[in-house]
Amino acid sequence: MNTKEKLKKILIEDLNLEELTPEDIDDNAPLFGEGLGLDSLDAVELVVIIQKHFGIEIKNMEEGREAFRSVEALAAYVDQRLATT
Amino acid sequence: MQIAVQGIGVVGCFGAGVAKMRQALLTGAVSPAAFDLPGCGTPLAISAFRADTSSLADFVPLKALRRIDNFSRLGLLGAYLALQDAGVPAAEKQERLGVVIASGYGATGSTFAFLDSFINDGDICASPTYFANSVHNSAAAYISIMLGATGPSSTVSQFHHSVPSALQTACLWLAEGRVDRVLFGAIEELSELIGYAWHRQRGRADIPEMTPLLTGAESAIPGEGAAFLLLTRREESQGGYCLLDRVITGRHLKPGFLPSPLDLLVLGADGRIEKGGDYAKLAKKATVACFTSLYGSMPGSPAFDIAIAALMLKEGKTFDSPGSAVCDFPATVATGGESLKGCCVSCLSLSDDDGFGLINLSKG
Repeated sequence: MNTKEKLKKILIEDLNLEELTPEDIDDNAPLFGEGLGLDSLDAVELVVIIQKHFGIEIKNMEEGREAFRSVEALAAYVDQRLATT
Repeated sequence: MQIAVQGIGVVGCFGAGVAKMRQALLTGAVSPAAFDLPGCGTPLAISAFRADTSSLADFVPLKALRRIDNFSRLGLLGAYLALQDAGVPAAEKQERLGVVIASGYGATGSTFAFLDSFINDGDICASPTYFANSVHNSAAAYISIMLGATGPSSTVSQFHHSVPSALQTACLWLAEGRVDRVLFGAIEELSELIGYAWHRQRGRADIPEMTPLLTGAESAIPGEGAAFLLLTRREESQGGYCLLDRVITGRHLKPGFLPSPLDLLVLGADGRIEKGGDYAKLAKKATVACFTSLYGSMPGSPAFDIAIAALMLKEGKTFDSPGSAVCDFPATVATGGESLKGCCVSCLSLSDDDGFGLINLSKG
């Protein structure tokens, strides 16, 4: 399972997106607002989820904002951080 | 002040809604199922009466429920069903509606998931959603938000005294004129932690059925669910079920304090061996009924008893007490389908600390 698929599965399970399947999530759709419809509380949950599942701590707000644009961006961020540690 | 019961919303092992509860009362057919406790290290399962909240999707879109935990879902479903039963449109903004919740255990699933997240992953990984759901008034808050109820909300947790104490709060709000209606409800969730604690404390996993009217034998099976009542002041009531005359709490109840022997006494006896003898002693010479075998043993069970008592008063007849074929109480057990002899039904619950709750209901 690649990082994108793993992320989609984790998002559905940990954010209780019960009505969605991984196939329903567009790689490039925005995670917040339109698209997946996540909100500010989910942003905090996402930071926790990334740390818990990948051991990556997001300390920088700007870094997080860029990574949380879409599943595609988040997967690229995770892969890049894992490659440099 | 007399309070009127306008609507009932119940969720338990018997299903969701008054019709499902009534069906279970008529057939007596509710069976516990195995409740697996995978987090206990060794394979372990106990018998339990579990409740299903999937019909909540009939009232709220799934997306709106995603942050709401099982405990609050039980409460929300009970609340929506009580409004529906009273003919109150849920879409209508409930401006002078108060919400009072009673729970002996509280939201243990979320509370301990939140604590586990500290232990397993460190405090930096504590989930904000688990935290929000572990706050003890969160179920009342979700109900108020979803229904647009702008009256006060409160949650009372006094273990076996939770239901009568919370009911006293609800009656006080109505008497003071703080609100025009109160959604009162008891919620109990059977989390894995409660299941494990139950197993450690009571130890039996193989009890096939509850025999609550038998002293000297442990037959308690844990349950979960929610029982809600929509309450109004008598003068503002329309139709509905019955009147709530008095809620009395105290210690060391004497048999003489109980209502007339003509009136039906619904016992909260639930197969806990340590309380069976006390119920038997107090019920001496009374006409009794007991329905705990339909929803299980839990601190919030008196709210189910009130719901059933209200239904009996509305229909003017009794229901059979499931599990009463085995009975050694020195009391007359009411037979199902009989007309209620008196005009009152009282619900009695006893706590482990010699406390009691006595709730008197009448036809009005």
